[in-house]
Amino acid sequence: MVDDKSIDDLSPVTPPAVANRSRRRSIGVIVVLIAIVGVLLSQGLLHSLNYFETVDQALAHKASLGSSTIRLEGVVAPGTIKRTNQGAQFYITGSKHHRVFVNAVGTPPELFQANIPVVVVGHFANAAAMTFQSNQIMVKHSASYIAAHPSRVRAPNGTTR
Amino acid sequence: MKLLQRALGPATLVTLLGTFIMGMWVTPKATMLDGGGDLVRMLYVHPAVAWVALYVSFGTTTVASALYLWRRTRSVVMDRIAYCAMEVSALFIFLTLVTGSIWGRPAWGVWWAWDARLTSTAILGVFVLGYLALRRANGDPEARARRSAVFGILIALDIPIIHFAVVWWKTLHQSATVLNSTGNVLVHGSMLWTLLLSFVAFTLLFVWLLRFRYRLEVMRETSQQSRRDVAVAARQREGA
Repeated sequence: MVDDKSIDDLSPVTPPAVANRSRRRSIGVIVVLIAIVGVLLSQGLLHSLNYFETVDQALAHKASLGSSTIRLEGVVAPGTIKRTNQGAQFYITGSKHHRVFVNAVGTPPELFQANIPVVVVGHFANAAAMTFQSNQIMVKHSASYIAAHPSRVRAPNGTTR
Repeated sequence: MKLLQRALGPATLVTLLGTFIMGMWVTPKATMLDGGGDLVRMLYVHPAVAWVALYVSFGTTTVASALYLWRRTRSVVMDRIAYCAMEVSALFIFLTLVTGSIWGRPAWGVWWAWDARLTSTAILGVFVLGYLALRRANGDPEARARRSAVFGILIALDIPIIHFAVVWWKTLHQSATVLNSTGNVLVHGSMLWTLLLSFVAFTLLFVWLLRFRYRLEVMRETSQQSRRDVAVAARQREGA
């Protein structure tokens, strides 16, 4: 039964501790999520909206690149792959037939082969050097999927289309 | 309607099984240059899972949230659908990132890359966790539903960024194989049909999961209301 005296008491009631705790928890969660998104953005979108530079782009402003680490994209030139003890050496080409010699350290990925687009991570030795020293090769897989056919003609470099 | 509901489970199972059989044993392997040999079999999992995560599941949440915010269609049903679809979306976004990683390691040579598509997808995953955390906040159910609906619509802005990231920026992730800007479909024959079957199969899986999650949510709310009624009745008896 409600006490008659308590009806006259209309002074504000402080909210229960549980509601306050829940509100603080929600704010805490939102702050943490904003921090995570901030980290993701700083790692991803802000530094590398474009994930790589093409061979043509890199050669166009090579002087400004110096020896800074970049990701360079190009197509592996056929007949140029040479496997070494440390990794591989090969040429990558751009759309304007510019070529860059890549000296890569580390095991190339499984799909690494001639005529495939790759993204190599590394740097030119200096602004004048034409050799790109790479410590990582990534294959930039195309969006097309072609069934392998046993009777398809195999090119001299071993690829089939 | 009951027939459709009864057929949903078996249809989901049959299409998933069909996708598995076609993908593993019927479709050919691809050339190493365009598909990576047997790696092409991931084509029948990852794109369909991503399709459900970004468009079907998230789309359901966005539409249901918009319908909740519109007075004429505001109802607890829309709020429940939005919430349940977002939970399923969280699962599919997680699967998208995992299957993408499993495919990326042998195809690209890395488990992960901070390119625009992968990063914006990871951000979407964080936003979804934020939505689910928001739903757990105590308080007035209507206010919670409104907040969630607004948040659900805002974070949907990330979807076009994810979709067009491979067009707007240079990314490691490849562009679309079927729905691309050139209009050329870049996969053919049994591989294409299996890819389309996988889209149907995982969409049905989403509907099946959503249905069960929705029923669970209704049961949870009913149980909560019953407990509240029992507590109120007990309090009233104390006071009498």
